[in-house]
Amino acid sequence: MSRQSPLSPFMLPIWYRFQLTSALSIAHRLTGLALSVGSIALCGWLIAVAHGDEWFARAHELLISPAGLSLLFLWSLTFFYHLCSGVRHLLWDVGYALELKAAYRGGYLVLAATVVLTAASWTYLFLA
Amino acid sequence: MEPGIASPEKTVADMHESSDETALRDQRAMRLVRHLGSARGGLGEWRIQRWTALALIPLGLYFVASMLHLATSSELTAEQWLASPVAALFLVLLLLAGLAHMLVGLRSIVLDYVHTRVGLFVAGVVVRASTALLCLASLLAVIKIALKS
Repeated sequence: MSRQSPLSPFMLPIWYRFQLTSALSIAHRLTGLALSVGSIALCGWLIAVAHGDEWFARAHELLISPAGLSLLFLWSLTFFYHLCSGVRHLLWDVGYALELKAAYRGGYLVLAATVVLTAASWTYLFLA
Repeated sequence: MEPGIASPEKTVADMHESSDETALRDQRAMRLVRHLGSARGGLGEWRIQRWTALALIPLGLYFVASMLHLATSSELTAEQWLASPVAALFLVLLLLAGLAHMLVGLRSIVLDYVHTRVGLFVAGVVVRASTALLCLASLLAVIKIALKS
């Protein structure tokens, strides 16, 4: 089957120029996907806790390894982004902030809140 | 004419009658568009996605706060944390709402990117089966930890 006309999910690089709003939209989906992968890790961690000390120790070792910590950092970032962006979506659902200017302001606010919440969490983690 | 498809005049008049109420209540929208295409069960999933999203705001924040507390505490162990019935309840609620939210989200991604019938079937089975597996495994683990202490 030949595709002469563009399909909606693949319009960004060629058919549309970059916009904050569409970039944040696809980021919402990507972070949702990343959190789905994170749910596997959460499940594995819970199983390790349930199984007892030896499994827990091994899971803990994995989590505090450089790779584990990087993943945890990315998951915290994606969690806070998806949370803030999700609130923005819920506000849209009830009819707020739908105008172009408000949509951009909300977008920048979501980005700022994500950075602040992630930074605050990791600062607390290393200072407390 | 099918009972679900009113004539345009009647449809507009119908909508005017209810315009004092909240415009287009979702059941109403459902009745208007049924038989016209893609409005079968989509509204149910839409609603699940929104309700779970709402629930996940406090549940997710509680979970992150608990993890931060757990990671920085020198005394509290994960087992002790989940021995508290409140913590176990909130974690179970987080898992249920989170995995339901995930299922709806993953299915909508599949519907956007998979274009063949076979692909849709396979992706649907994989998404549902893995979500069910994750759900059961996590819940059993939480129940085991909660009952142990």
